[in-house]
Amino acid sequence: MIILHKRETIENKYSRIDDQSTIKDIDNYTLINIYLLEKYRNEIVKKKLKVGLELFSDDNFELTEKNLSIFSMVQINFKTFKDGRPFSFAKKLRKQLDFKNEIRAGGHILPDQYIFLLRSGFDSVEIKKEDKDIWIEILDMDDGLYYQPD
Amino acid sequence: MYKYSKTDKQIVKARTKQFKNQVFRRIKGKLSEEEFKPLRLMNGLYLQLHAYMLRVAIPYGELSSNQLKKLAEIAKKYDKGYGHFTTRQNIQFNWPKLTDVPEILSELAEVEMHAIQTSGNCIRNLSSDHLAGIIKNEVEDPRPWCEIIRKWSTFHPEFSFLPRKFKIAVTGCDEDRAAIKVHDIGLKLINKNDRIGFEVYVGGGQGRSPYIAKKLRNFLKKGDLLNYLEAILSTYNELGRRDNIYKARIKILINELGIEKFKNKVEEKFKKFSNQELIIKKEDIKKIFSYFQLPKLNKKKGIVKNNKDPKYNIWLKQNVIKHKISGYSIVLISLKPLGKPPGDADAKQMKGIAKISDEYSFGEIRVTHEQNLVLPHIENKNLFLVWKKLRNLDISTPNIGLITDTICCPGMDYCALATARSIPISQKISNHFRNIENQKKIGDLKIKISGCINACGHHHVGNIGILGLDKNGAESYQITLGGSSKNDASIGQIVGPSFSEGNLLGAIEKIINLYKKNKKKNEDFLSVFRRIGISEFKKYLYDNTS
Repeated sequence: MIILHKRETIENKYSRIDDQSTIKDIDNYTLINIYLLEKYRNEIVKKKLKVGLELFSDDNFELTEKNLSIFSMVQINFKTFKDGRPFSFAKKLRKQLDFKNEIRAGGHILPDQYIFLLRSGFDSVEIKKEDKDIWIEILDMDDGLYYQPD
Repeated sequence: MYKYSKTDKQIVKARTKQFKNQVFRRIKGKLSEEEFKPLRLMNGLYLQLHAYMLRVAIPYGELSSNQLKKLAEIAKKYDKGYGHFTTRQNIQFNWPKLTDVPEILSELAEVEMHAIQTSGNCIRNLSSDHLAGIIKNEVEDPRPWCEIIRKWSTFHPEFSFLPRKFKIAVTGCDEDRAAIKVHDIGLKLINKNDRIGFEVYVGGGQGRSPYIAKKLRNFLKKGDLLNYLEAILSTYNELGRRDNIYKARIKILINELGIEKFKNKVEEKFKKFSNQELIIKKEDIKKIFSYFQLPKLNKKKGIVKNNKDPKYNIWLKQNVIKHKISGYSIVLISLKPLGKPPGDADAKQMKGIAKISDEYSFGEIRVTHEQNLVLPHIENKNLFLVWKKLRNLDISTPNIGLITDTICCPGMDYCALATARSIPISQKISNHFRNIENQKKIGDLKIKISGCINACGHHHVGNIGILGLDKNGAESYQITLGGSSKNDASIGQIVGPSFSEGNLLGAIEKIINLYKKNKKKNEDFLSVFRRIGISEFKKYLYDNTS
């Protein structure tokens, strides 16, 4: 898998840990899920760590809205590309919760959704290396004309 | 009518290119059918029972003669020579080849048309009053507002993958001809203390769980329209159910959450998080309105006159309405010729109507949600000529609003979802009640026929609704009575056990007879039904049948 940030591939600084992990395993740039967040939220805040949070499109997003400053990145994985909730959540993170760090999309997404992702507040996508060309090709087809304001 | 800007043209062109790429990837196997399906649907392309079907958008039902000519060409070149006008004022082509679709879209783009968002789980093509801007007693023309919403909703990055489809209708009149209360959002322009704004309705719809929309706002300022729509859509996108396709419409969310809770969520979003850039400025409203000015109609003294031809006189009375400018009339073209599939027009008819419109109606045509067409500005002195030309095209049936002016979905003749045929039922009704004098005696009566529970033929809001079902492999038809999509919208009540195709006409005949027996003076069917109630019909229908 690669991380595509607009047209460029960027380094993935984040490493996933499993549910059995403890607070000792959590460091800066660790990618934690909602379960670990709920379990270790206070310790992460106390230790002033900057972690990544990995969510799924059917997760309860409200649980993540507290202590947003501990996240240096939020990754939202689409369980299916047809589930459009992440678009609203990304927009909420940007517009309502004033989240300034990286928002990344992952899971089952289509290159045809790339512009919608970027325009909703996502910065990057996690995709298969061999799919990069088609993602760029579709991005290049966009001429930047939209009816909605940013 | 609205004319595309450079931006509109480029956006449609870019979409055509994008769709070409998607078709190419599908053919090469780089997109699975599961992945391609929502993408093609968002571009109006369905896979029906026998072939692909392309639904072309006719925003708020307004067409130019050039556009209608192009639709005629497409029908001839890529289809079987005809098109089908739908209950949301669009047109469907039932037989295009997948590989021809990108070319059809390119041809449509030449005349400022497209198939964007005519299907899929996104905000669909807007619908409106087919008499917008040409009828008296209108608070304000709804078409400019439809255009504002059309732009905002097209390729909206947040709302293109909603839990389910989303339909919006706008009306500017007290008399509701746009069925706003059976839409996900219904907007009605109102005048409150000399200020014009919107009454907002939400959560109406048909399908397997029909609901009449509930009022969400008594008054919404015009400038706030888009921010308020964003608040509704965003709440729906977050909370709408995605676990069950049949419970995914906003009507179910509102029913489960309760209108008050839903309203609180919407109002909170609207008040706290409105986007300044989405507030519609007065100059932008003015600019959009400038596209919808009436053509130069000079007030004339000519009155609507009868003629020695009785057929013309009947048509004049039934299919012609007064225009707001004196000396002009609005002509309704019935696409329900006796015994023919409702809503169909062939290429010759489309071309002919376009030509008549060029000569007598300033090149404008409208599509009604009842699957008919409108010539909006006919000078009274030309009515007889127009009638003769329509008669030559076989589209002068004087049955607007009568029992043979049925709404009907494509049913099992075309649709993969259907459980029964609906077009042949409509044809049978049309033939059975063909006598125009008899139809006029029955008066205003809306029969609406759906070939399955998805209710594309709007049976829930038919005065008489017919729902085609599959009962152990045989088609059977359930009758509902008392539905209406007007201001006093109501969902029809099931009258009793369903009827076989053979017994259906007899049952309708009985329903009509009971209505006639109870009719006082000019009372229409719906009024009689509401006065005497379903039990009378039930008793009369089933006691007599047994």
